[in-house]
Amino acid sequence: MARFLIRRLFLLFLTMLLVSVAVFLITESSPGNVARNVLGSFVTPEQEASFLNQTGLDEPVWQRYIHWLAGSDWDAERKTGLSLVRLGTGTDFREWWARTGDGRLVRWKIQGDDLIAIHRNPDGSLEETLDNGRWRGGADRAFFWGIDAGNNAVLWEKGSKGEVWTFVMGTGWIKSTGGPADYLPLKKGFLRGDPGISLMTGRPVQKTLFTRLRNSLVLAGIAFILVMPLALLLGIVAGVREGSFQDRVLSIGGMVFSVIPEFATGIFLILIFAIWLKIVPGAAVFGEAAPWERLDMLILPVLTLTLIELGYVLRITRASMVEVMRSPYIRTAHLKGLPYWRIVVRHAIRNALMAPVTVIMLHVNWLMGGIVIVEVVFGYPGLGKYLLDAALNKDINALEAGAMILVILAVGTQLIADIIYMFLNPRIRYT
Amino acid sequence: MGRKTHDRAIIKDLKYEMDKGNLSRREFIRLSTLLGLSAFSACQLAGLPWPGSALAAAPRKGGILRVAASVQKVTHPAQFSWIMPSNQFRQVCEYLTLTDGNNITHPYLLESWEASDDLRTWDLNLREGITFNNGDPFTADDVVFTFNQWLDKDVGSSLLGMLGDYLEPTGIEKINDLKIVLHLKRPELAIPEHLFHYPALVLNHRTFEGDLVRRPHGTGPFLLAEYREGERVMLKRRGDYWQKGPAGEPLPFLGGMEFIDMGTEMAPQIAALQSGDIHMIDLGDASGTDVFQALRNDTGVQIQAAPTAGARVLRMRVDVKPWDDNRVRMALKLCQHREKILALSYFGEGLEGHDFHVYPRHPEYCPKPVPAYDPARARELLKEAGYPDGIRVNLAVGNGWSDVVRFAEILKQDAAPGGFEINIQTMPNAQYWEKWTEVDLGITPWAHRPLGTMVMSLAYTGDAEGKPVAWNETRWIDTEFSGLLSEANGTLEIEARRRLFCRLEDIQMTRGPVGIPYWRNVWMANRKILKNVKPHPNNYMLFNDVWLEG
Repeated sequence: MARFLIRRLFLLFLTMLLVSVAVFLITESSPGNVARNVLGSFVTPEQEASFLNQTGLDEPVWQRYIHWLAGSDWDAERKTGLSLVRLGTGTDFREWWARTGDGRLVRWKIQGDDLIAIHRNPDGSLEETLDNGRWRGGADRAFFWGIDAGNNAVLWEKGSKGEVWTFVMGTGWIKSTGGPADYLPLKKGFLRGDPGISLMTGRPVQKTLFTRLRNSLVLAGIAFILVMPLALLLGIVAGVREGSFQDRVLSIGGMVFSVIPEFATGIFLILIFAIWLKIVPGAAVFGEAAPWERLDMLILPVLTLTLIELGYVLRITRASMVEVMRSPYIRTAHLKGLPYWRIVVRHAIRNALMAPVTVIMLHVNWLMGGIVIVEVVFGYPGLGKYLLDAALNKDINALEAGAMILVILAVGTQLIADIIYMFLNPRIRYT
Repeated sequence: MGRKTHDRAIIKDLKYEMDKGNLSRREFIRLSTLLGLSAFSACQLAGLPWPGSALAAAPRKGGILRVAASVQKVTHPAQFSWIMPSNQFRQVCEYLTLTDGNNITHPYLLESWEASDDLRTWDLNLREGITFNNGDPFTADDVVFTFNQWLDKDVGSSLLGMLGDYLEPTGIEKINDLKIVLHLKRPELAIPEHLFHYPALVLNHRTFEGDLVRRPHGTGPFLLAEYREGERVMLKRRGDYWQKGPAGEPLPFLGGMEFIDMGTEMAPQIAALQSGDIHMIDLGDASGTDVFQALRNDTGVQIQAAPTAGARVLRMRVDVKPWDDNRVRMALKLCQHREKILALSYFGEGLEGHDFHVYPRHPEYCPKPVPAYDPARARELLKEAGYPDGIRVNLAVGNGWSDVVRFAEILKQDAAPGGFEINIQTMPNAQYWEKWTEVDLGITPWAHRPLGTMVMSLAYTGDAEGKPVAWNETRWIDTEFSGLLSEANGTLEIEARRRLFCRLEDIQMTRGPVGIPYWRNVWMANRKILKNVKPHPNNYMLFNDVWLEG
């Protein structure tokens, strides 16, 4: 059993790796200009190039992938020759600083042709000093790899380029030859728990991702807890009473609701209950409240999900139940004189549940990402909508992080399903 | 500059024109306030009563206004490309001027301004006694810093194209803490209107370092309490705001504002507005037709229309076949049935357009007859151009604007008898904005601008080297047109400008690259418990004096 689990965990990690590579390649080759999505349509080619440089999108694909997976700080440490440290300051602004030989935290900025070092004292205050001694290279082309206030490792150069006018407050317009030539955004990488900065929001991905995940879990969780027992129960009843009136009603009702697409069901429910009858809100507007604090806003989305899943699981359970009730061992138990309900509960159900459990586990998968349609119809801030926006905007960090979560869920639910099978059917053994 | 503004020759000329009947009173007020006359004096000279500013009912203080709007990534306000972030940050920071719903520009953070007779020297006088929300005083240094941010090409603001055309950083002169003089490279009339362009928020030169969310220091009536991209913005009332209400009471009335990002689908936002979960939908970047259609008969929702110079422009790239041939362009323009397009795609809410980018309520508009729908002539022109059997073309539209899609569908039907077989290519709006300057035939939504010259300079000219400017999506440059336009930009006298515009409009109608079937109204949709909302053609939320009832 333990070896089985370990092997499955290993396969989980392998799947995550392969999926991350696939998502990367697909996003890479899909159309869409990230600079224009973020900066607006009216950017000049220089601004576009600068944006791509600053977000690290001008690096080759394999390099971007390695940086996403394993981080870029070791690469930056190699270039700058200093060790790098990440601090969290205030409310979720992160800052990267370099640690110099004497243990002080430093960042740099450039003003005209001068390199200014910003030291951070232990109490958080900042001190600025002139630091032109760090320029390397000759007089005609000096360069320096440092850290700037935008959490990037920057290659500053001076001397070689043409002159550039920069405005310095207090001094006015001055001519300088210094300027940034290359950027390397700093991050720790997915393996160390840092999914990176979202291109859409400019802030760390996990900020938005975990809120959306929590919201989706709440919605999906409530729907799951409500629907699954109900669907199983109704399916068993329908299967046991095959051909009866209840069976017909449940079967046809289930089929009707599972066939109507979720956006149609959702819109009809909004129309009937929110607009005509006005008894529940028709859209999910949470503001700062968590979903469980505004349960009235969850009623319609959950009802929509319920109606779709109910029909589907009910019919599979019914079919499985019917098949099991026809099998010889059930007839034997009947002839032996066992009470009817004991046969059903202790013998039939356990065997009939194999098929529904498979379907239910697949539904868990769908509940996480596939409810994007329900989320869009109700304006519900969930994971599906987040991934949709990320995909439309080619926000690679958000997409990868979301994809990894979905992979974990998919593989995890398969694992749980396999374990449940073992309990349902003792003949199944895994080596 | 010692004379009083209302003694100046220009104002006297304008008054003469008005009395003769060449200038409407409304236009007189607009132009004279642009030149620095106070709105009160302008109304007096025009013989209009000064509109009373008493409020209709006693305002109730407090309450949080909930608005559905998209919450985008914001760092530098001068880089704004969309109106919604400006609606959120205009409550925290402010502008030097204010152009209201009637296209009249008032001083705001400025106390007053004065222009020289040749329109090349502008004196800007700052208002005294204003502080930023972190305690710093508002002085000329802040204005100089902000101007330089706009003109800094590393910032990459659209204001660089707008102001950089006539202003260099060396032309900004600080006289004292409350006065600045601008020395322009060429005469320009519309500076006060440019200062209200939505990215032109005034920044605190002591603390601003490129990220406004991190240091949200502004002179506005609200403080930024929380900013979560893609989720919500929370603004809280500020105690020491400089503006006072009409009876002298402190502003703002609202206790706070909450902007909630509900995604791009209109259905949940409409449902939430109907049920009262939100009080308003920000329609600044949306077309609003869905909201209008769904809610115009709703008793709990107030929808106010503002006529605007915003239009859906059918644009053709003149450097690509077949649109390089003017006969083909004219043929397609003749296939627009304007009345039908306006009625079917926009519920008749707007004015019919003429295929030139000057709005009938712009002051320099020269009246022209609306072109008729003429597919027979279109077919003839196509035959002349070498397409006797008609021509097949692709039309790119963003599917998020339902009225644009309707326009395309109607055009497709109406252009078929004219010989055009149009293939409509719909795509998500984001994708359209990626290629709006590149497609050969598309429909681009253009926003309202208060002056006729503004869009002309932005979209139909070339730069000093003869290359089309950044927003010239059609690549159309006509030397006669550009010459007339520069002349118009420096002409104050309204009749002369109108004569120039008669010729400009003719040029665009006969050989221009765009088809404009209608000018649309925009709507402001809010719950009726929100009082004192005034519609604005750009959907700006000028909400210092609104309040929530009950």
